Amino acid sequence: MSPSVCVLFMVRDLIIESTALTKSYGPHVALDSLDIKIEKGSTGLLGPNGAGKSTFLKTILGLIQLTSGEGKVLGYDVRTQGNLIRQNIGYMPEYDALNPNMDAIHQVKYSGELIGMNPNVALQRAHQALDYVGLGEQRYREVSSFSTGMKQATKLACALIHDPKLIIADEPSNGLDAKAREFMLNTLEITVNEGQRSVLMASHLMDDVEKVCENIVLLHKGKLAAQGKIEDLKAIDKEIEIHVWGSAAKMEETLVDRGMKVRREGRVMRIGHNGEDTYNNILQTAADVGTQVRRMHDHEATLEDLFLVIMERLGHDVKSSEDLLGGV
Amino acid sequence: MSEDDAANDEPFEPVENKIETYGAEAPVTGQTKMQAAWSAESDDENTTAKVASSKQGQIFEQIYKPWEGTLNPRWMRNWAILRHHILGIFKKGHRPWNIPTRLFIFFVIIASMTDVALALLFGMIGEPTLYDIWGVNRDNLYGHVMGFFPRNILYYPIVAALLVGGIISEDRSHGTSALYFSRPINRFDYTAMKFLSVGLILLFIINGTLAVYYFVDILVMGKGWAWIIDTFPMFLAAFGCGIILSFTYTSIGLALSSISRGRFFPAIGLIAILMGTKSIAAIVDALFDRSLLYIISPYDSVAHVCQALIGTEMTYEHPWVWSLVSIVIMNGLALYLLANRVSSMEVTRE
Repeated sequence: MSPSVCVLFMVRDLIIESTALTKSYGPHVALDSLDIKIEKGSTGLLGPNGAGKSTFLKTILGLIQLTSGEGKVLGYDVRTQGNLIRQNIGYMPEYDALNPNMDAIHQVKYSGELIGMNPNVALQRAHQALDYVGLGEQRYREVSSFSTGMKQATKLACALIHDPKLIIADEPSNGLDAKAREFMLNTLEITVNEGQRSVLMASHLMDDVEKVCENIVLLHKGKLAAQGKIEDLKAIDKEIEIHVWGSAAKMEETLVDRGMKVRREGRVMRIGHNGEDTYNNILQTAADVGTQVRRMHDHEATLEDLFLVIMERLGHDVKSSEDLLGGV
Repeated sequence: MSEDDAANDEPFEPVENKIETYGAEAPVTGQTKMQAAWSAESDDENTTAKVASSKQGQIFEQIYKPWEGTLNPRWMRNWAILRHHILGIFKKGHRPWNIPTRLFIFFVIIASMTDVALALLFGMIGEPTLYDIWGVNRDNLYGHVMGFFPRNILYYPIVAALLVGGIISEDRSHGTSALYFSRPINRFDYTAMKFLSVGLILLFIINGTLAVYYFVDILVMGKGWAWIIDTFPMFLAAFGCGIILSFTYTSIGLALSSISRGRFFPAIGLIAILMGTKSIAAIVDALFDRSLLYIISPYDSVAHVCQALIGTEMTYEHPWVWSLVSIVIMNGLALYLLANRVSSMEVTRE
């Protein structure tokens, strides 16, 4: 494949793209020269409170004027083609966005009409969308009688009614119990995998993002802290986990002396992966100090681990993502 | 995998396998769950209850269905907003106006046509003196739109208050502003359609009944062309006054709704402004014999301009142009406030 073809292929698959995207409110820089490339599929948008997530969402919806830089969503310019962007995406807000005195079917139908659907077509699609999100039997009930999970599902139906290419879900599992949360995440997964639609999901729950998303974008203080495939990003914090028997403390000391990064919890140690030699070095050290290595395997890092590593590198001493994201 | 891990992977007994037997060594029979649950069998000793699992009876299948239709342009989206609000007065499935609002609008429409009924009654029984009191003429056309009691104290301001109460403030409090602004609806279209919705309902009540009053008189009393040519300009002037009145009440009311999160404040605020300014101006006029302060009253300013337009006797001493300027300033301020507050409505959070 020639380089030009390769570039064209990459451009075609990008759903959101920004170059030096900056938004300032007076002296406060909300988004600072963001160069973001989000590919088709599912992407998690993460960031502590004040990181600029809301501003970024408003920017890609074409609702606020940029201070400088460029941005494109589905190929449309965020500066000049906001209406086209909003016509081709489905936005699921974080907070209540439903009239409590309307029944679900007419609420979803109205949201379709606001996109530009014919009333009859919107009604037909509203039935389909509500059925898809699991509210087929409850569609004639007033929203005020709904549980939080049902309200979230109704909001998702509102976002899906016109079959958008991109769904932006702002905290979709907010306030849901375990069952409703699992259903919501499964629905988003099906939308991506079977519906072949893209999802940009802002969430402070790492497990949710990890379950649904292949990629993440992490914002911090208006700047891009990390972006890419979760699997690729996890590689920056690859560790080898060993379970040892006998002289664990001595083993740890020797490993550290030999320049390895070690974390120990009793007889379990995690050693930083430093190339393929690391395995041999561990076994050699164990032989030298007379320690039995009963298990050795690559440690499967979670998104939570990844988040903590990134935050540590950014100079934050946090014990869990809840410390930073819990209040978002 | 260690034994502990294996144990942790399956912490509970699978639901499918759980069978509770209430009789000793009772056989698992072919009876239905309903029979078991409701003890349809007379012999309880043989009843075997099988706990339903999530897999049993599950017919929900989640399939994403794509849609490849075309979307309508801007005017159709705006029409949807307008239709949503106006049809909500009559039909379910649109904006849910509350019952008191609907009933009051119905009452006001009926009450606004009392002049129609009386003109018809006295016209048909051949009572010219009484017909002259209620039939179509310059003063009665003015009175149909701008009469203070009961129309502009009991009917139109209260209808306007009920209509504007939650029209924007509820979008703010319910978060439904996100429903509009995350779609290709811009702030101007949103505001304009909300304004038109309230304005048209008011206009339907005020000018609709005015038109009924005028045209029923023509049809039933058999008025000739000369009479129509004579009175039609007055009817048009009264119609224009209805538009000015509806516009002014709507703009002030919507401005109040846009700065609020509830239904009560905009409604009571509108009535307070309309009645309060008139009361103050009336007190000053009575004490000092100066009518100038009526320019702070939206109702009186519109009434003054309408007196000039329709050509009835002036009841104010100051020039009517001052009242016209006052109306322009009031509406300008109200629309500025409305535009300003609507532009601050958020999509991501309030």
